[in-house]
Amino acid sequence: MVRFKSRYLLCEVCFADPRSRQCLEERAVFSAVRDAIARAHGDYGAACCAVSFTVKYLNAYTGILLLRCRKEHYRLLWSALPFIIHLESRGQRQPCRISSIHVGGTIRTCQRFLIRYNRQQLLRMLPGCQSEEERESVHRAVLSCSLKQLEEEGSSRDEDSD
Amino acid sequence: MALFGDLNIVNTTDKRKLKNVIETAAHLGYSTVAINHVVNLQEKKQEIGKPTCVAELFTSPPTVQGKSKPIKIITRLTVVVSEASHCNELRTTSPRTRLYDLVAVHPKTEKLFHTACMTLDVDIIEIIMTEKQQFHFKRPPVNVAIDRGIVFELVYSPAIKDSTMRRYTISNSLSLMNIGKGKNIIISSGAEKPLELRGPYDIANLGLLFGLSEGDAKAAISTNCRKALLHGETRKTAQGVVHTMKKTEVPEDKEEAPASKRARTDDP
Repeated sequence: MVRFKSRYLLCEVCFADPRSRQCLEERAVFSAVRDAIARAHGDYGAACCAVSFTVKYLNAYTGILLLRCRKEHYRLLWSALPFIIHLESRGQRQPCRISSIHVGGTIRTCQRFLIRYNRQQLLRMLPGCQSEEERESVHRAVLSCSLKQLEEEGSSRDEDSD
Repeated sequence: MALFGDLNIVNTTDKRKLKNVIETAAHLGYSTVAINHVVNLQEKKQEIGKPTCVAELFTSPPTVQGKSKPIKIITRLTVVVSEASHCNELRTTSPRTRLYDLVAVHPKTEKLFHTACMTLDVDIIEIIMTEKQQFHFKRPPVNVAIDRGIVFELVYSPAIKDSTMRRYTISNSLSLMNIGKGKNIIISSGAEKPLELRGPYDIANLGLLFGLSEGDAKAAISTNCRKALLHGETRKTAQGVVHTMKKTEVPEDKEEAPASKRARTDDP
């Protein structure tokens, strides 16, 4: 069966100013990444990544970003990501950094990694908790994130594995 | 993969900024970080001062992302040499350079590059990234440096900030790769702000842009960093076999060999 193979790049966006995370928009990220690829790899890079490049998932609260591109050209995209230094949103330039944490072949593998990663981040937050209530809520969050629940939900949905 | 290291974090007098940068490095997954004190001897009244006390910075160093150990912070000295008289500071007997864990040199002319590769007692040779290299690298001194265990360093933060710097960085590193074949290279950040740091896997990809092969790029952030660290440690020892430590309470002269060296000497 002929199948289009893609690579999904799971990235984390870090801002200098934590409040500007709320203004994260898919369009801003899309244009920023496309411009960075054009600057780093020229017309060839821009053309390669224009074929099947989309922002699949963006979480403004945690700053997690999922990008999709073709398997043949994912290195071009990956090598252009470190050169992004700011994102435009609502006419303002916010200095930021995009660091990639995982490369996967399907959305499901990225999802599995993201759940493990978020659990690790929650555990790292535990020592910094100020009060018992915060500690309790972090504990509950850690225990509640499990893949089994999500897989039951996900099997009813159609998976997009373009 | 192995431990990742970023051996160039520029030292600032602002402690909070430095702490921020180191915490970001720990969050990104770097196990070892070196605070770089840059000394430019051409400017007047510049002396090699004492390194910042690492214990004062953090009461408990931040844990590395993905591991359970805290981040290891070491001190590093970079001397920018533009004349031959500046090299006097870098001799083994110099008192100040012994206080630092790593010593690096940034040669500005071809003769000084030659001296640095052949005779100077350093661990890291920094390659110019912010301007077009005036001289070409020659194969003999580079090979001698590789044999001596000296590591060549590529700094990537100018490339992130500016487009012309990016061109100089890539062209200088490509010319180094042509001569040295990608051995003994490390890539480090030279970061002053936490946003200038990049994760280790991103840097391994940048290494591909700089002309390294895939295996060499991964080695550039892990095994070659460890090489440089060990080279710095052996500078404090006698031939890399014996390591002396000052014991505060007991006044007798005790010689202690670190565990790895002990095992080697025990073997027949």
